[in-house]
This record gives sequence, C-alpha cells and structure tokens, in this order.
Amino acid sequence: MDLGQGEPLVHVQDFQMSFGSTKVIQNLSFDVYEGETFGFLGSNGSGKTTTIRSLLGIYQATSGTLHIGGAPFAPDRNISLGYLPEERGLYKKEATLDVMVYFGRLKGLSKMNAVNWSMNFLERVGIAARAKVRLDKLSSGEQQKVQLGITIMNDPLLLILDEPTKGFDPVNRRLLMDIIEEQRIAGTTVLMVTHQMEEVERLCDRVLLLKNGKARAYGTVSQVQDEFGSSSIDIGLSGEIPPSQSYRVILSNPDVAQISASVGHSPESILKELVDRGVQVKSFMEKKTSLDEIFIQIYGDEPSGGVS
Amino acid sequence: MVSFEVSRTLKKKKFWLGTLTVPFAIALILGLSVISNTTTTNKVDTQKNAKFSFNYVDSSGLINSSIANALGGGKIADAAVGIADVKSARSTAFFIYPQDPTTEIVGVYGIDKGIFDNGRYSAVATQLLQLSVQSRVGNKELTSLIAGKINVKSTSFLKGKESGSIGDVIPPMIFLLIFYLVLLLLGNQMLTSTQEEKENRVTEIILTTLNPNTLILGKIISLFLIGLVQITVFASPVILGYSFFRKDLRLPNIDLSSFNFHAEPMIIGFLLLVGGFTLFTGTLVAVGAVMPTAKEASNVFGVVMALLFAPFWIISLVASDPNSLIVQVFTYFPYSATVTAMMRNGLGSLGTGRAAIVIVELFVLGFIVLKLAMRLFRYGSIEYSKRVSPFQVFRR
Repeated sequence: MDLGQGEPLVHVQDFQMSFGSTKVIQNLSFDVYEGETFGFLGSNGSGKTTTIRSLLGIYQATSGTLHIGGAPFAPDRNISLGYLPEERGLYKKEATLDVMVYFGRLKGLSKMNAVNWSMNFLERVGIAARAKVRLDKLSSGEQQKVQLGITIMNDPLLLILDEPTKGFDPVNRRLLMDIIEEQRIAGTTVLMVTHQMEEVERLCDRVLLLKNGKARAYGTVSQVQDEFGSSSIDIGLSGEIPPSQSYRVILSNPDVAQISASVGHSPESILKELVDRGVQVKSFMEKKTSLDEIFIQIYGDEPSGGVS
Repeated sequence: MVSFEVSRTLKKKKFWLGTLTVPFAIALILGLSVISNTTTTNKVDTQKNAKFSFNYVDSSGLINSSIANALGGGKIADAAVGIADVKSARSTAFFIYPQDPTTEIVGVYGIDKGIFDNGRYSAVATQLLQLSVQSRVGNKELTSLIAGKINVKSTSFLKGKESGSIGDVIPPMIFLLIFYLVLLLLGNQMLTSTQEEKENRVTEIILTTLNPNTLILGKIISLFLIGLVQITVFASPVILGYSFFRKDLRLPNIDLSSFNFHAEPMIIGFLLLVGGFTLFTGTLVAVGAVMPTAKEASNVFGVVMALLFAPFWIISLVASDPNSLIVQVFTYFPYSATVTAMMRNGLGSLGTGRAAIVIVELFVLGFIVLKLAMRLFRYGSIEYSKRVSPFQVFRR
C-alpha cells in the first residue's frame, strides 16, 4: 500500500464543529486512503462520533471540508457505504429476512439480489433457519450477526465502524474481526472508531488520536509510537554495557542491559557503535511503547463523558 | 421504502384488529337494525290493521259518529262510566274529546297491552278526530293546508346563478369530511411515524442510506395508502348496506343530482385540504421527531385534536356572522384556518380573495413546518432517549 499517494477516499480539512458556544471539534484534518484501515481513536467525549456523523452528513459542520470520494457525502450519491453506528438497532418487530431485504433495497440491490445475499449471509453465520423469525425473537448475539450483515451487504467501498465491538459477545467479536479482515483483503477502506488498542495495533495502518476535539497524534502506528513512546532497547551481551553519549543506561547487569536512545541516535547507529567498540552483542531488541500505554498517557488525566 | 412501510403495517395483526373492528361493529349495528326494522314494520302493520272496540264522550261536537262507528267506537254520555268500563275490562278503550281539542287535552284510556301496543289507543283517538274534521271541511287538500303541511322550495341567486341551497353546501364540505377522516385515522400514526426509527435506533443507518426528505415523503405516502385501505374497509359496510339493504335500514334515497358541484368552491376545498394536510402532517411529524417514545408523543395528540375541533366551538357564528372578529381570527390562525375556511367555503362566505390568502398561508407554513420536521427528524431522532428542544436542534 502506498499511503499518502493520490486522492484520498476520505478527506477532512480544517473541520470545526460547535454546538452553540461549545467548540466540539477544532481544526481537525486527516485523510483516509483507498484500501487502508484507519483507526480513529479517542476517549469518550473527544468528538469521534460527532466527526463521523458530520462526515456522513448527519450533522452539519460549522466549517471545514468533509469529503467522501471527492464531495460531501449524501445518501443519493451512490457511494457504496457500510456504516455500523455506535447506537445500533434494527426494526425489531419485523422478520429478519424482511429487514435485511429492506436495507438491501435501500442500498440499491434488486429484491432478488438482496434476498440471495441475505440468505447466503444468514447461512454463513448459522441462522438461516431464523430468516422468517421476528428480530425480537432472536437472541442478542443473533441480532448482532444480522446487524453485521446489513453493514456489509452492499460490498461497501468504505466501511465506517463506530465502536464496532461494543456490546458484542466474544463469538460475534471474532466474526466481526474476520469480516473486517476479509473486507481489508478485498480492498475495502475501513475507518474504525474505537478505543480497543489491541484491535488498532492488529488491524490499522494509520491512526488519529483525538483529544478534546483536536488531533493529538496522526500517522502510522509506528510513527505515533515513535512520537509518544520513549522506546527502549533490551540488549543481551557479554559483560557490562559501556557508557556513551548515544544512549542512556536504564538497567545494567552482567550480560543484560536496557538503554534508551538519545535524541538523534537510532537503534541501528547504537548497535554499530557497540560492535565497533568490541562489545559482544548476543541480542538486540527494540521495545516500542504500546498504543495502550500511549492512550493512557494522553487521556489518563481527563474526566470521561461529554460529547461523543 | 413505501412498499416496506405499507406491507409491514398491513401485516400487523394489531392494524387489522383495529381496522376491522369498525366495519364489524357497523355491520353488526346494521344487521340488528335490519332485524329490528323488519320487526317494527310488521308490528306497525299489525297495529294498523288491529281493530278494537271503544267508547267516547264528545264535548267538542266535532266527532262524526258514522266514522266513529266504522272504527269500532260507540258514543256514551258519562265519562266516569267509560273509564269504569275500561278499568273492569268491559270495553277495550275510552276517549274523552274536550270542548276545544286545540287547547285542551284529549283523554285516552285503555287496557294495558304493553308499552308498544298501548300506542294504538292514542293513534285511533287522533285518527278519529282528524277524519271527523276532514269530513266537515269536505276537502282533503284544504285539511292538509289547515294542518300547516306546506312544502316550500326557495331559490336564491348569486352572480346570476342559483346558489345557497343545501345542494351547494354539501359538495365542498366533503373535503372537510375527508380532512377529519384522514387526520382522525392517521394523526396518531403521523405523530409516531418516525418513532420506530428512533426507538429501534435505526435512524443513523437510515440517514446514511436514504435522504431524510425521501424518508418523510415516503412515510407520508405510505400513511395515505394505509389511510385509503382503512377508509375502504370502514366504508364498505356502509356502501353495501346502502346499496342492498337501503329499504330494510330505512335510509333516505340520496338524489345525487340535487348536489351542485361548482368548480370554484370545489377547487378551493381541495386546495384547503392539501394545504391543511401538509401543515398538520408536518406538525405531527415534527413533534414526533423530538419525543423520545411513542407514548410521550401520543400525549400531544390530544392537543392537536383540540386544535382540529376548535372551529366547531364557533360554528353558529361562522354560519350567522362570518365577518365577526372571532371568525376572522379563526379563519387566519393557521391551525384553525383549514376547518374554518372549509366551513365558510361550503357556506359561501369565504370569497376568492380570502380563500387565496388562507391557501397560500397553509401551503407556505406547511412547507416551512415540513422542512422543520425534516431537520428535527435529522437531529432530534438521533438523540435516541432524550426529548430534544427545537432550540438545541437549531444550535446544530
């Protein structure tokens, strides 16, 4: 994937959003490129859902540019979109298949295609026998499966998932992850709002961390780790590590040491320096700060709640 | 989406239970009415033909004794004897004709035959008096005229054409009937039409797959279609009853040729109907969009209905003094304008100029309210569990 090249599928530029006198989003800019999986991160009330709703035209932005496929999103623009909102639900008093077909028809499928697609999906997730059953008679796990089916039923070009695993049981969480993986492989662009950092590290190419309506970090997972994490290096060696301007020694024991690189010195240059100085290096492993730790570092001081 | 909305409503047992209750009730009432009317007719015929003997005392001198004899009566002199004979069941009935039957009461006594059959005594007493008087006048037509049975047909003209008859009033009033029927049948559904999306948390998915204007419009069209189904179901027993059992039900024969369908009041009536429907639909959808649950939304329904029926409080003024201040206020206040203007249109006191103002007002305000309803739906319905104030929506 060649990120940053060509026209982005999602383009947000200088986005500002105010509810009355309250500024919810301030000068937010980011791009999501075709085929990438983008993590949109932030604590509760940081403005993630507001941004997604504004991007999808549900809210009207105070100012700025919010484009999908080169123009503001509108349902009749014929952009194939799969959206799993944070607040989710279905027409509970209708039959499962009827609801799936209804949404399929709204998404532009013919009735026959909508029926076929829905039945194939229900078979895949093991609830085909429940197709004629009212949704409120299904277990919550089965309802979640139907919800997922509706989200991806038009083979979306862009999949927007707002807190996708929220409320999902482990089985459906795994199913969701498998589906995201499949969609990624199929070339679908995924914009995922979450604070599940393991998912982000596993799935996302790039991330944006939002705090109080402002972007705090933006880039590849590795770039964010470099920017916010004080990465350390674990070294296995013979004897003790010699002192140097290139690094700070955190831990020094015979045969084991832990150092952190000084500004302007890369792990590669430090390894070369040690070898040049005759240190017998047995192992050399760079340890990056996890996104989870970075998340706590950024958001740990703020109270929860506010605008979502 | 229209087919989904319509089909899911038509699939609901609750809908059919509610809808079919009305024609079943009407059919039941009509059936009972037919049976009852048949029985009544038979009873009346029996009564008419049933003869009984009676005595009478005539202080008026009006009773023709030969007619009385033909009806089974015999004249006696003493009222006390006549009453005593009835009491002891020696005679069936006894009548006392006073000196002046026009001011004094005719006394009727009879053996109790039950509340229905007892009516025949006074019927025969009256018949005897009328036939006797008629025989004195010697002319049936003159008797009828003396009794005040005069048929009068008055004709008035407006701009050189016949007008002002009931045949002119009724056709434009049909729109008022349709307006009430539609709002009474569908008002609550309009109010709760967007509640399903809200309560089921599907608003966001809907808003990203469907233009909210299309959704609201689709809902209104669906409601209209459902309303048509309901009106058809409700009307079917009435139409069937009128077509096939009119005589049994003793319904009057409606002569459609007596109705005058003048173009101007009919067009005005139609435009008032559409404008009023737009305004009330928009208002109900807007209110529904900011209410968190169908139950809370339904509480507002009573207020809307009160607004709808408010013009009937001043109906006598609308008919007698349409230029009074209160009627003017009701004519131009948007939420009473539809009904008041429709009544005045039927009664012929609206006028083209006033009608144009009210129609424009209804359409403009209806359009604004519909746009407001769409905005309230867009922002109000994603606040799933909260009641949203319009001010909050406009801040967004």
